[in-house]
Amino acid sequence: MPRPKWLIVARNEYRIHINHIRRLRPYFPILVIGLLGAYVAFIAPAVVRLFIDEFLAFILSQVALVMIPIIMFLFFVYLIILPVTYTLQGTQAQQVEIFLAAPIKPSDILLGEFLGVMPFYAIAIVVIAGFFTAALSPLGLDLLQIGLTAIIFVVTLLAALWIGTVIAAVVRTRFAASARGRDIGKALSLILALPIIAVMYAIMGGGLLEALADPGISGPVKSILSLLPSSWGAELILSFASNPGNMGAVGFEALTRFGGLLVFFVAVLWVGTKVASHAYSIEPTTFTASMAKPDGVVYRGVKLLGGGASFGTLLVSVFKDYGRRLENLSRIAYMLAIFVMVNVFLVQGGTDAEGPLVMAQFMFPFLAVFMVGQVAVHGKDSLFLYKKTPRGVGRFVKAKLVQGWLIAVPIAAGITLFSLLRVPQASFISLLVYLGLITLLVAANVALALGLALLKPQFSDSARDQMGSLMLNANVAMFASIGVFIGSMVVLGLGIFNTLLLQNTVIWLLGIIFLYLGKRKLSRIE
Amino acid sequence: MEIVIRTDKLSKHYGKGRVIKAVDALDLEVYEGETFGLLGPNGAGKTTTVRLLNGIIKPTRGTATVKGYDIVKQENEVKRVTGLLAESPGLYEKLSAAEFLEFMGALYDVPSDILTERIEELLKLFDLHERRDYLLEGYSRGMKQKVLIAAAMIHDPPILFFDEPTSMLDPRAALMVKDLINGLADRAGKTIFICSHILPIVEELCDRIGIIDRGKLIAVGTIEDILTQTDTKTLEQAFIALTGGTEERELLAWRRHENAEA
Repeated sequence: MPRPKWLIVARNEYRIHINHIRRLRPYFPILVIGLLGAYVAFIAPAVVRLFIDEFLAFILSQVALVMIPIIMFLFFVYLIILPVTYTLQGTQAQQVEIFLAAPIKPSDILLGEFLGVMPFYAIAIVVIAGFFTAALSPLGLDLLQIGLTAIIFVVTLLAALWIGTVIAAVVRTRFAASARGRDIGKALSLILALPIIAVMYAIMGGGLLEALADPGISGPVKSILSLLPSSWGAELILSFASNPGNMGAVGFEALTRFGGLLVFFVAVLWVGTKVASHAYSIEPTTFTASMAKPDGVVYRGVKLLGGGASFGTLLVSVFKDYGRRLENLSRIAYMLAIFVMVNVFLVQGGTDAEGPLVMAQFMFPFLAVFMVGQVAVHGKDSLFLYKKTPRGVGRFVKAKLVQGWLIAVPIAAGITLFSLLRVPQASFISLLVYLGLITLLVAANVALALGLALLKPQFSDSARDQMGSLMLNANVAMFASIGVFIGSMVVLGLGIFNTLLLQNTVIWLLGIIFLYLGKRKLSRIE
Repeated sequence: MEIVIRTDKLSKHYGKGRVIKAVDALDLEVYEGETFGLLGPNGAGKTTTVRLLNGIIKPTRGTATVKGYDIVKQENEVKRVTGLLAESPGLYEKLSAAEFLEFMGALYDVPSDILTERIEELLKLFDLHERRDYLLEGYSRGMKQKVLIAAAMIHDPPILFFDEPTSMLDPRAALMVKDLINGLADRAGKTIFICSHILPIVEELCDRIGIIDRGKLIAVGTIEDILTQTDTKTLEQAFIALTGGTEERELLAWRRHENAEA
């Protein structure tokens, strides 16, 4: 009897995901189960013991009535967008053709793809569920209550993952068929997580916890959240926490909602299998090809800034290639959103300029790397175009540098101005000085970021490899900035003005050195 | 000879109002054991035809049968009797050749005992046995094409579709693929349906050809038939005569313009 098709697809998916540890493959499940067992039995309870008093006080407070549903909602949304983001980063339709040419039902493909990655998601689910059950156990929950708590986590998070898998399959069909679609996909993959980050920042520094202590605020929030399936199980968990070891005291409404959660899980499974036939298709979704418009004021201005002659044309070309990729624009949007959130939630109410300036140490190196940190995104061939032309490497580096400055410097200046204007004590002169210093510092960071990218160009097309390379360079640039900042402020005891001066000197020096080394590497690359 | 592929006004239209006619009222017959070539310029509808005949997409109008099975009503049966080498196939690059073939065989319900043996035979046939456990990401384009052809044959289907089988290959790999297709047709008795815009491939391999342009089949027959129909001496001339030639242009005009400016 032939094996079920979903099992074949699941096995294949599992093999692909575990490919990087092929030698460990036979032992991987045993290893993971062993480690998770140790986590649930020993590590999670040990971690929980570190702050058990605070946690128990929290879980029994009024705030928990809203916070637990919020946390569950965050997990729920995160697990929905995780498969979608993963798919959007590298949407490929070709493999769908393999399935469509074979005698297999779309629902089997969907189920197989879901089950194939499930072992990896299950690790995350066990970690989350294990932590909460360990944290709730000291309240005196009985075995049934602990079991139901674990079931609630598993069912809620599995439902979210299944929804995410179905959406990911539909999204792949929608976006993978065209280059524009793939670009849109990559752009979306970056900004999908922003709402979750916003809520987390609000919890960390935005006074959300304090606000929720006010029944006038927590009441409506709780009512809205109670409509969401992610909250239905949370209410039962809270009910267990209030009535440990006493199942009889758990309210009928909470039990009904738990039943609703189970029905919801079954319903999404059923709907997913029905949607599957639409999720796998290689029919073209659009016949519209993107067209270039004649150069407008911006491009003409950029050409003039580049001297108007052939370098100006080169600069405009580099600009166009950058600006026409939604992925790049979404990176700028992402960084801007993070800046706004940091300012709104974490740097609020400061009385001096240091707060925003310290935050800049963390953020601007990232900004610079995200702007100019991808020099080889189309593989070696695009770099060889420059290598082939006379003085091509030098002009390429110069064009990327100017492009980075033209984008990053105005953005950083705008953000700094916005941050400093919120500081009531900052004088006009100090505002101008700090603005100038930060602007120079960002320009230096752009040079450093470009140098780092050239020194170790990432030729892989994989979005994960590209992001890994960007994050590595961003961390190098950030630690350089923070290192000088701490050395200057803490060790040398210099003030913020002198620190920024010193930082400018060091980062400019590093930028010039790395640019030189990067250019040399690019000239020698084969 | 038995007809194994028959299309009846097979059409696939896209876009608003279905104005883009990828395949338009295609009537075609392919006989058992023959090698048939569907020739046409880029965007003529070759790949869409192959996808329709493999049950991958559904026709807008008309129908077709493959080995007697209706492509709409008996989609799974059609898939079982056909093997497809797609134009831009998606390989699982993180699988080895053996793992990929095992996966493909399982998708087509090849029994485990037969599958293991067949994988070994195909890997030996394609000279890939020594690299059977290497990941496909490290294979050359020619080697990947061999794996994909092996995958198309893993369930031993009577009809094989090859969509642009040599377009991305170097001459040595292309020759290997051509020899293989010839062998499959001559010795294994397979019916082979090749899509290509590379004329020598079609000329060399196919018993009969069809020429498709803008979704319509505009000629069908042996090469001699086509040459007679178009009153031409070569397939290239016939192809240009049927699909429209290029305008005569003064190719170096831009150079004179540059000299004049200088």
